[in-house]
Amino acid sequence: MSVNDISGPLDYPTEEIALSVNGEEVTAEVEPRHKLSDFLRDARGLRGVRVGCEHGVCGACTVLMDGRAVKSCLTYAVQADGADIETVEGLADDGALHPIQESFHEEHALQCGFCTSGFVMATKELLDSEPDPDRDDIEDGLADNICRCTGYQNIYDAVLRAADRMDGEADDEGAADDEEATGDGATETEADR
Amino acid sequence: MSSRPDSDADGSTSADARGSERATSEKFTGSGLNRVEDRRILTGEAEYIHDKAPESALHMALYRSVHAHAEIESIDTSAAEDHPGCHLVLTAEDIKADYNPMPAGLTGFEEWSLADGKVRYVGEPVAVVVADDRYVAEDAVDLVDVSYDTLDPVVDPRGAREDETLVHEDFGTNVGDHEELTFGDPDGAFADADHVVEGSYSWGRISGVPLETAGVVADYDDDSDSFDIDCNIQLHTLVDDTVYDTLGYDPDDVNLDVPPDVGGSFGTKIAIHRYCCLAAMASKELNRPVAFVEDRIENLQGGDMHSTEREYDVKLAVDDDGTIRGLDFWFVDDFGAWPRYPVNQVLKPLSVLTNAYDVQDARYEYDLVLTNKTCQTAYRGFGVPAHLYALEMIVDEAAEEIGMDPDALRRRNLIESDQMPYELPSKNIYDSGDFPAALAHVQEKIEDERDGGLLDPEVVEAKRAEGKYRGARPTVHIEPGVSGSDWTDRQRSNRERLADRDRDDVAELPEHLRAEIRPDGTVRAFLATDSSGQGHQTLVTQLLADELGVLSSDIDVRYLDSVEAPTEYGTAASRMAVMVSGAAKGLGEALTENLETLAAEVWDCPDRDVVYRDGAVERAGGERLSLAALAERDRERPDDDRLTRASYDYQHPATDLEEFDDALARKLPVYPTAAFAANAPIVEVDAKTGEVEILKFYSLRDCGTQLNPTIVEGQAHGGLAQGIGAALLEEFGYADDGQPQAITMFDYRLPSIENIPEMELDHTETPSPFTPTGAKGTGEGGMIDGPASLACSINAALEPLDVQADQIPFTPNRVRERIREREDE
Repeated sequence: MSVNDISGPLDYPTEEIALSVNGEEVTAEVEPRHKLSDFLRDARGLRGVRVGCEHGVCGACTVLMDGRAVKSCLTYAVQADGADIETVEGLADDGALHPIQESFHEEHALQCGFCTSGFVMATKELLDSEPDPDRDDIEDGLADNICRCTGYQNIYDAVLRAADRMDGEADDEGAADDEEATGDGATETEADR
Repeated sequence: MSSRPDSDADGSTSADARGSERATSEKFTGSGLNRVEDRRILTGEAEYIHDKAPESALHMALYRSVHAHAEIESIDTSAAEDHPGCHLVLTAEDIKADYNPMPAGLTGFEEWSLADGKVRYVGEPVAVVVADDRYVAEDAVDLVDVSYDTLDPVVDPRGAREDETLVHEDFGTNVGDHEELTFGDPDGAFADADHVVEGSYSWGRISGVPLETAGVVADYDDDSDSFDIDCNIQLHTLVDDTVYDTLGYDPDDVNLDVPPDVGGSFGTKIAIHRYCCLAAMASKELNRPVAFVEDRIENLQGGDMHSTEREYDVKLAVDDDGTIRGLDFWFVDDFGAWPRYPVNQVLKPLSVLTNAYDVQDARYEYDLVLTNKTCQTAYRGFGVPAHLYALEMIVDEAAEEIGMDPDALRRRNLIESDQMPYELPSKNIYDSGDFPAALAHVQEKIEDERDGGLLDPEVVEAKRAEGKYRGARPTVHIEPGVSGSDWTDRQRSNRERLADRDRDDVAELPEHLRAEIRPDGTVRAFLATDSSGQGHQTLVTQLLADELGVLSSDIDVRYLDSVEAPTEYGTAASRMAVMVSGAAKGLGEALTENLETLAAEVWDCPDRDVVYRDGAVERAGGERLSLAALAERDRERPDDDRLTRASYDYQHPATDLEEFDDALARKLPVYPTAAFAANAPIVEVDAKTGEVEILKFYSLRDCGTQLNPTIVEGQAHGGLAQGIGAALLEEFGYADDGQPQAITMFDYRLPSIENIPEMELDHTETPSPFTPTGAKGTGEGGMIDGPASLACSINAALEPLDVQADQIPFTPNRVRERIREREDE
């Protein structure tokens, strides 16, 4: 449990929120006008949350809120009260990259990298809900994220590779627990940590 | 899905006649080594500029003009200053006594970091506010009260030349610069030719719009009276004068440090010096670090980051048999309110004046105008994309005029491979390439599609019945690579005296690389440039690992700040693959020579008895000194005379080539590598909605020897995506009153995964005879060749409707408008 306060020295009104961030229970005092993106970056030090437009188009700030991809620049921190937030920092498991991260690396699906956290999180939401996506699924799932460097082809290929890899991992685990295999791989990661 | 049909089986090709080492399959160079940059980015650990502000930093926000053109009557900052949490408000009046105007791209202009007496575009910074955090700073900005007396705005680039309203009264005209260049005998060619065709074409105001905006953390140190400035400026070793000259300090007292990770630039961030200067001034005033990250609306509206906006009038002289006799380009380029450094974007097209065509008589004339729009910066291609577009449009027009198949007309005029190296009338030289073979390759793809594929006549006919028009038109395009001399300041030079210059007068810009052996035997290299996603750390890792015969994991690549680094050029002009590979080769040789000297000293034997091989120096009898051992022995030497360190400055490849002497001395653009692409996008235009869909994009690309095919392919995909955006989606429009129409990402439409078609890219490797590795520059390709090739395919699709893509971007609205105009005729 940790407490954060990003309000300045001024007497702006604040609200207390309690939420889970990458599996850690957090309470914090925030101004109602603080964006979730600023809260995660400034109060929680989660700098992998990138801020590219602050009006909900570019998707660089995409995080998962209760498993759904949200633009954290369009979400106020107070709206995350009681929520379960996942950011790109929560994906790697004790230094081992998540299959989505591995796949983006192997397919050269990033160049400058500023959009990458958002794409990785949007991909996670997509593959959690559709483990075997076709071209339309990928286009729908990633249409809210802009990449200015890669031209998308390699991102598309990375998503397919990640789906294959996660499917393979799910099959391996399926021998032990069929239910868990079709479930949310990342939730397990959270629990393991 | 990509293939490399014409490269050797091992993916490598003998580089050149200059004896460079052949890349073998065991080498890292030439392989698609995975990037060393990726892990920190994928885990969220990478630190971009917006992660750099220390806890003690205050935060800056800017009050910006709401008018396009107005006198400032008064500025009242008192309410802002009284706002709790606000530490400082600055206006032009506060900075003029202590600082200088910002350096301009043309002489005769005095631009202060804050608007002085008059605003000249919407979004122009008028006041700086510094506060505890950005939220409070923006609260205080709202309290700055400026009263204006509005003036008529200058918005239309052609109309600006009339000088009815002046953007700069002191300068006396809105035409900031003008030049007419004549090569060969264009008058004769146009008089003799069977036909002269004319056309007018528009290129809309576009730019790179990287996902990361500009940012800075400036920290003034009172004791040393110097500045440490973290920022994401591009070319921090070249354009640092825009910061230190403005601040009025020596270069050594203004240290620009660019983070290893910059969220894209594409040229645009070379002109973010205003933010660096303002944050530095505020830091000095407050004796605290001051941080600023531009928000997206600031960036799109008034961030000094728009790029090329041109209106072309082009003429082409052609004979009945399809021989192109002459070319005549006139254009006006709208540079916005102030002429920034990239004014030479109007000149770079001279390096590819005739594109892939063999034409020796040409005229080239431009007016660079100033208007009430935000300033121009550089963008991938640096003025070339618009030129190639205008040229290919007039070639299409010529084909129609003389009733010749456009493919045949193009083929007839292509430079043949036996003409290489080919000197253009504008004196730049294409190094190598087989353009006709490249064209034939994509023509074949299109022929295949005509036989049961996307362009099968039956399919095309059926689609046409639904109002959908399909077409594809193969074209070849040249990407000029690797600039590096003083032609870039031609417009600030006395042009009449250029004829008297000697080759010795030419100032050149090398690329610097240095390295040291660490105590553990690993190698730490230092790049003197900055990077914004190109994978330079990976590239240097590959190159140095091969030069030194060590593992890629033994190489660690870092960056030098502007004080540590010498003044050199850096990342621009598709330079780095060629320049860094040249530098790595020279550095490897210098370092191994040093290490041999050191080993000979240790063994007390002549240098000739020792040899460096694969991470150690050896001598007869099997004795070896490893890099770690050498590093240990080297520590016994004085610190300023170590032999486990070396640096190398690689001179530009044109430096030693007499063929370029004339162009270099005359300050004509020299780009000694000619990467090229043959493109054939298949498009479908919906005549009812005006939408253009790209069904498939064929491209054959050649950038000489590929140092890292993965990165080459990535550059091609990314460049083409930007080319697609430019051709179909992106534009910074302005209303007649000078209000910008695209200030959010809803209005400035970047391609998403839904806009990108199936790409089929093939690669050939025609090594450059001019570069040490045979590599050619390829950082800008797709953005250079994408728009023109798409416009040609649109022309092919709309041929039955007699509509031509005369305006880029060819948005649905414009397509519909053109179709209706034709129907009404």
